[in-house]
Amino acid sequence: MTLQDLLDPLIAALLLAGVYAAMSAGMTIVYGVMKIVNLAHAGVMMLGAYFAYELFERFHLDPLISAVLALPVFFAFGMAVHWLLVRWLPRSDQPTLASLLLMFGFWLVLQNVASLIWKNEDRSINTSYTLESWRFGDIAISKVRLAVFIAAVLSIVILQIGLRRSWFGKSIRAVIQNPYAAQIVGVDYDRTARLTFGLGTAFSGFAGVLLSMLYSFSPDFGRPFLLRSFVIIVLGGLESFSGVALGAVVLAMVETWSIQIPGVEASYQPAISYGLLVVVLLVLPKGIAGLLERRWRTG
Amino acid sequence: MSLLSTIKKLLPFFVLLVFLLLPSAGASTDVIRLLFATFVWTITSVAWNLVGGFTGQTSFGFAVFYGLGAYTAGLMINAGHNPYFAFPAAAAVGLLASFLVGLPAFRLRGPYFAIATIGLTEAVRVIMSNLKITGGASGLSIVEHRAFQQTEHYYSALLALAMAVGISVLIADSRFGLALRAIRQDEDAAADIGVNPYRSKLWIHGIAAALTGIAGALHARYAVFVDPSGGPGGVFAFQTGISILLMPVIGGIGTIWGPVLGGAIFGIVEEELVVRFPNVHLLLYGILLILIILLEPDGLVGLLRKIFRRSSWKFLQSKD
Repeated sequence: MTLQDLLDPLIAALLLAGVYAAMSAGMTIVYGVMKIVNLAHAGVMMLGAYFAYELFERFHLDPLISAVLALPVFFAFGMAVHWLLVRWLPRSDQPTLASLLLMFGFWLVLQNVASLIWKNEDRSINTSYTLESWRFGDIAISKVRLAVFIAAVLSIVILQIGLRRSWFGKSIRAVIQNPYAAQIVGVDYDRTARLTFGLGTAFSGFAGVLLSMLYSFSPDFGRPFLLRSFVIIVLGGLESFSGVALGAVVLAMVETWSIQIPGVEASYQPAISYGLLVVVLLVLPKGIAGLLERRWRTG
Repeated sequence: MSLLSTIKKLLPFFVLLVFLLLPSAGASTDVIRLLFATFVWTITSVAWNLVGGFTGQTSFGFAVFYGLGAYTAGLMINAGHNPYFAFPAAAAVGLLASFLVGLPAFRLRGPYFAIATIGLTEAVRVIMSNLKITGGASGLSIVEHRAFQQTEHYYSALLALAMAVGISVLIADSRFGLALRAIRQDEDAAADIGVNPYRSKLWIHGIAAALTGIAGALHARYAVFVDPSGGPGGVFAFQTGISILLMPVIGGIGTIWGPVLGGAIFGIVEEELVVRFPNVHLLLYGILLILIILLEPDGLVGLLRKIFRRSSWKFLQSKD
């Protein structure tokens, strides 16, 4: 085994982890504030992919520009969905089955409206640089993957700064920590929830655009990524943003290396990550971040 | 009053009698096929309701048991066994699989359980569409060395459905059923009064999985082909799991007749609409699901209950 055999999967995993983290960020923030497991996340990612596809086919717009455009568009979309559907749900400290089924119904609607509009065949976006790569000595890095990685990391950094610095970000973090105390000190819960749902949807749409640069897509596009987002936010401990980054790296590593296990065919690979979801839910209910925190406190 | 309550008690038996006599009354093969498919769907609906309705544990993973039942029956019939031996075998495989799923997943609560079932279904689908014994992604053809008799299929499905509803009624009225309802309302409180939530959930899940396995076997034997794909029609497809969950939600979860009503509506819509408008039916279900969750969480039975509140149609009411 040469150094290259070790480095190639490592780089591939890290590049993948970027977009994984971006796609899970939206789900985490919605879960943290509203305790809603947003199954419609998958549908919104799929819409993001078609958003980029339409702009690319009609106006030859680079998907990276579409990704930036997707943020305000899907933010507005998310606010509308919240106004129309989500706000009617009873408030709860725990995720409720009603919210799960509601978001699931909304996902079904998105998916099937999309298959009425775009039919069920696979589409893909081929930019001029899709198949090009940079070479550094023996190591080749695909240009698209690097671009997607940079866009994803930038978006997370900006989100993180926004959450730390802006008033809205602080109110989100306050609600995540303690919704009642947050209201006592003057945070408007309904407004925060609405903006959070918009922000979460914006990130799902943004991640959908990025994913459309890497994979072909159909109206059923989001499902495998929805499951991966679950694995990541569960690994990350559900409400922590640094946990999401960590979870994304772990999942990307597991996926990249599980292909190389001798005797396991590549077609079994998804089963490994879905199995990981169940194992993590059982063994690490607070995620890796929770585990590290516990170690750090006791030791 | 007493006459009305007698009628209410006898109504299910009357309906059963009508269905029993239907083939000899000269119903067309199309009608029989439609009813057969509806019965099979309704069995899964009633089974799901045991776990999702009575016990309050939403599972997206019933396609696993349906698919395993279909494969068990298919492989056994191909090996030359009597199909009526294949049905209990499908139930047994469903029961075993339910423990494999339930033993880890019931350590989790509510939505975490639901998410775990999504992961497990996908994992099983990926594995089953890669195994050699199941025919892999191209599916499994079933060859039965007996003449095809539609009415025989019809009666076996009707009996299985009657059995499922009977089990549902028995459980609802039993001590075990009370324990399940207690778990749905407050798991910790139920544990405090001496119910073992983990064990109760495992058993009801097992019963439901066995019934779903039988439904899968009935489907496979009639269709003479098992499709493991993720697309519509695939036994392990995510959509199959969704369909199984939709029926009780439409009809009214936690009631006895809600899932039957939901299954009947779903089966007829599915078999008639899918042919004419593929895609549109799932859109309809999505809209229906949203409307039901937001407006009438108790489903059609809840709606009927509201309409008939003044009259004494108490048999529609859940036993909380």
